[in-house]
Amino acid sequence: MSTVVLSPSPSFQTPAPATQLRRALSADVLRLKRTPALWLTLASGAFPVALTFLIFYFKGEYLLKPGQDPWPTYLMQSWQTACALLLPLFVVLLTGLVLNVENKAVAWKHVYAQPVGRGAVFGSKLLVLMGLNALAMLAYTVILLGSGLLLGLLRPSLHFQDHAVPLLATVTLLWHTYIATLGILAIQYVASLWWRSFATPVALGMGATIAALTLMRWEHIDWVPYATPLLALQKAASVPKGHALDLALAKAEWLTLGWFGLVLLGGYVLLRYRHEG
Amino acid sequence: MLTPPPLVETRGLSFSYGKRPILHDVNLHVPPASIYGFLGPNGAGKSTTLRILLGLLPAPAGSVQLFGHDLAQHRLPLLGRVGALIEMPSLYDHLNGFENVEATRRLRGLPRHRTAEVLTLVGLSADAHRPVRAYSLGMRQRLGLALALLPDPDLLILDEPTNGLDPQGITEMRALLLRLQQEHGKTILLSSHLISEIERMATHVGVIQQGRLAFQGTVRELQRQQSGRAQVVIETDDAERCRNLLPLEFGAARVLATGTLALPYQSPEQMAYLAQELVSAGQPLYSLRCEQPSLEQTFLHLTEATAL
Repeated sequence: MSTVVLSPSPSFQTPAPATQLRRALSADVLRLKRTPALWLTLASGAFPVALTFLIFYFKGEYLLKPGQDPWPTYLMQSWQTACALLLPLFVVLLTGLVLNVENKAVAWKHVYAQPVGRGAVFGSKLLVLMGLNALAMLAYTVILLGSGLLLGLLRPSLHFQDHAVPLLATVTLLWHTYIATLGILAIQYVASLWWRSFATPVALGMGATIAALTLMRWEHIDWVPYATPLLALQKAASVPKGHALDLALAKAEWLTLGWFGLVLLGGYVLLRYRHEG
Repeated sequence: MLTPPPLVETRGLSFSYGKRPILHDVNLHVPPASIYGFLGPNGAGKSTTLRILLGLLPAPAGSVQLFGHDLAQHRLPLLGRVGALIEMPSLYDHLNGFENVEATRRLRGLPRHRTAEVLTLVGLSADAHRPVRAYSLGMRQRLGLALALLPDPDLLILDEPTNGLDPQGITEMRALLLRLQQEHGKTILLSSHLISEIERMATHVGVIQQGRLAFQGTVRELQRQQSGRAQVVIETDDAERCRNLLPLEFGAARVLATGTLALPYQSPEQMAYLAQELVSAGQPLYSLRCEQPSLEQTFLHLTEATAL
């Protein structure tokens, strides 16, 4: 006769939300193995650094005044290239690639048929994206500072070796830049979840980035999250000499955090009730 | 004898996509330890029903019960006891077979040793460390089944599991499912649009047509249904002439070909009577036999009859 137990068995319990999130995260990290998203994260920072490195290697004397600390000029020059165009595009591409792992495998129906809530799936992918974004910026910073030290060795006439590495200033700049990308990240995340394609959200993200750069002089540009990385950089660059950049957030950064919260909340509600037909 | 309560039960289940009705008053009844073949032509509502059973599409509270519990209320713990393969398996091509299983194992929070166990069960241990993009269609399908078997589920829900498989693949899949049911006591609910694929293993059958259940019961009950549709086939020279010779009560006789006549089977006496009548009228009788319709024909008859 059948031995199927119909009464609630000991396992008849919903796993705690934290447990669900931990499981989803563990699976998501495994899925990143050998993906272009992972390579993009680790290697993309090298590109803007290489450009600035070459400029300083060949033309450094023209860019620096004699006796000047080369570090701030070097860092800001590279950060400018990275922030203006590359960083928003990086976030757009990264989000597309991470979500494409699921979209390409047509795996949503499989994932949602597992005993893990949609909230955990949503939260886990968001954490992966935020983690990769942070990792990419960290990798960029390490390569950037490393390249400065290398210039000190290869071109002693630029005097990198004679000045301390401005760690505190770099970390502060990193903080502002990271916050500045969160609005883009949320919008691209929800768009990729919604369209379930790679091309559409990436095309939209590229269009939005270019539009934001064109509108930089608009009085309401603070409200456009795709412009926030550049706005944050402009603010950092405008700090008067002798003053240090502090951790306090500017209006544009607060607004981008607002976008981040609002878009994620709306996106979650939309996706929570989406039919997997 | 007490009938065991069903493992899967839907009560008056209806579902629409917008204004387009897909399912209408479906009362599914899947007994424990059965292999339930869920049959119907493409677009009849099989996939929609299975997706509702997995919580992928919303069902009104109280309309779907798994293991005697309401799905809408206890979705996650119930899904913990269900393994599913919906159409093509969801596989990550950039990972190998082992890593694919591992991703689902982690997601479900199952013990580590399960990964190797299910790979052995579906016969993929030797290929576990090859990238999945190099897998054949049959191997992909078996890997999908391995994902479904990971939690050692009491209930397996498989949507067209033999889709795209070659005859050998179909035979292997059938043997594996039979083993799971007979040796491990699993309940298997699988859909197909071909009865021939499942008639040799299913214990129960549900036939869905245009969103309504046209038949539900054991395979024996389905066979019994068809016994009323057996026919006598007569091979002679001139079928038309023979038909005119027969008494009026055999008026339903149909001429299938110049020398072939068919009429509804009634009894052994009817057969003897027909033979005697035709021979005494001087007609040659090359063959006289009773033909049972195949399950295939019964299935077609069921799906045609309700397709109005």
